[in-house]
Amino acid sequence: MIKIKDLKLDFPGRLSLFIDKLAIGKGKVFTIIGPNGAGKSTFLNIIALFQEPDKGVIEIFGDNILNLRDKLIFRRKISFVFSRPYLFDETVYNNIALPLRLRGIRDFKAVDETLDLFRIGHLNANKAPTLSQGEMHRVALARAFVTKPELILLDEPFLSLDPIYKESLINDLRGVIKSNEITAIFVSQVQTEALTLADTIAVMKAGRILQQGNPQDIFTMPDSKEVADFIGVETVVEGTIVKKEDNLCFVKAKDGFLEVVSIYNEGDRVLVCIRPEDVVIARHIDPSSARNHFKAKIIDIKPWGLEFKLNLYCGFNLIASVTKQSVKNLDLKIEDEVFAIFKATAIHLIKR
Amino acid sequence: MVKRNSENNCSFGIIKENSFETRGRFCIFQNRPLDFILKNMIYIFEGFKKGVVLLFNLNGEVLAILKLSLGISIFATFIAVCIGLPLGSIIALKKFPFKKIVIALVNTGMGLPPVVVGLFVVLFLSRNGPLGFLQWLYTPKGMILAQVIIATPIITGLSLAAVQSFEPRFYRQILALGATTRQSICILIKEIKLSILAAIIAGFGSIISEVGAVMMVGGNIKGQTRVLTTATVLETHMGNFDIAIALGLVLLLMSFIVNLALTFIQQSKVKQE
Repeated sequence: MIKIKDLKLDFPGRLSLFIDKLAIGKGKVFTIIGPNGAGKSTFLNIIALFQEPDKGVIEIFGDNILNLRDKLIFRRKISFVFSRPYLFDETVYNNIALPLRLRGIRDFKAVDETLDLFRIGHLNANKAPTLSQGEMHRVALARAFVTKPELILLDEPFLSLDPIYKESLINDLRGVIKSNEITAIFVSQVQTEALTLADTIAVMKAGRILQQGNPQDIFTMPDSKEVADFIGVETVVEGTIVKKEDNLCFVKAKDGFLEVVSIYNEGDRVLVCIRPEDVVIARHIDPSSARNHFKAKIIDIKPWGLEFKLNLYCGFNLIASVTKQSVKNLDLKIEDEVFAIFKATAIHLIKR
Repeated sequence: MVKRNSENNCSFGIIKENSFETRGRFCIFQNRPLDFILKNMIYIFEGFKKGVVLLFNLNGEVLAILKLSLGISIFATFIAVCIGLPLGSIIALKKFPFKKIVIALVNTGMGLPPVVVGLFVVLFLSRNGPLGFLQWLYTPKGMILAQVIIATPIITGLSLAAVQSFEPRFYRQILALGATTRQSICILIKEIKLSILAAIIAGFGSIISEVGAVMMVGGNIKGQTRVLTTATVLETHMGNFDIAIALGLVLLLMSFIVNLALTFIQQSKVKQE
């Protein structure tokens, strides 16, 4: 469906976008995550022909779209949803019907269908400026789907939504995309959004795709420190494999020894990655299958959303996330000594 | 008290006889300037009073002048909008070489001296000029041409600024919905209607009050090309201040009514938003 080769765009001093090879299958959701200024939106603008690259090939629907003379024909096959809904001062119905009107289509059956699909039929006579932020985003998405596009570009479409509304909208969007087998390129900074929608995730930074793969692989096996940092692996420690027995590696990381299941060999220098949610905090050690038990000192306790983040020292700095109830039940305080426990399979190693 | 006809004590000021009742010589004691000012204020108020009376008893001639003024200015504004609005939008939206120079030229055009416009239009429309065959000199058509040249850069420049201040992503959203360039400009203009109305108000204001170009191109011919501004100038020169004031008041009132209508449209849009 989409094949990209040697795509290059330079904004001197700002961004240098380069994608050597990328393929997206039909009906798949390709999600790009990355920090601000990574080049995610620029990439979408190139695909939508709003930005001309310095060189490269983008093959969509069998044509190199960069050589197209008539951009309009291509643009009418795709849809683009921006982070702001950009609705017009019209009724919801007229906003959704606009793409059909622009194409000279006079049959508006699709408008009613799309209104139902996005559960906004009851708003059809309301003026767009009177809607809530969440409703506006729903209308913007419905407007993008009314023409039944073959490709949809989503540039952080849930940016300003509250978590509960966002969840319901993402679920509806996933249903529409999957049931209509629409190919989508979705750009986001939020990992949960990416995990919910993506078939494939690419992590982008400074104009380069650092890693791509299925969501599980990206989030459990980052292959660089930058990716690990971005996907929320908060403990990344330099270490060396000092011994290996079968597939169990013994890693010396600063003043700590860890047991890790890994393919790497003795003597390899690695980065040890531990996700905060994989660390269990206990006052005592009970026999368990977990291979790593560390006596740790609590350096800091900070609230983080509905949870708490513990900054521990156990020969190296370790971040753990615990619930509010756990902090209360275990009576956790700064300077307390506790046990940090995690499994050998919960640790991911990146070869340096 | 002001002393009259006391030439020995006069410091300045002899107002020639005119249609006012306040005629004759006025002078001022060197040490009593306030008396002089008050006397002359009375003289202006008298003229104003007569002007108001004339205004309420509009005669056929004044009505014809009013009709011609309105007709010429509204038609010229309409043509200037038809040219300036799309032109300003295209300059703002399209990328092309020397764009900044073109914008600088438009901005310069916003301050075109009307007499210079008048001069060039006269040169072009005169019998030996390149457009002499049109025979538009000393006709309302020629006046409309001059006013279009004055108003178009103003409407172009203000439309250009309005479109440029519009969020580029919104324009991209319009294109992404599948709009052609023409469709996208129409949608865009609809979205920035408040700023566009301000551009129209400015364009109309610049030509309804303009005198230099219409005087040169129209020639101020009674019954044919005499408009409110040129008639006001003429009556002032002739010393018929009451008629000049009446015409000035009509001009002010007309300008106010047209702008009031445009402002009502503009502000009703604000309320809706």
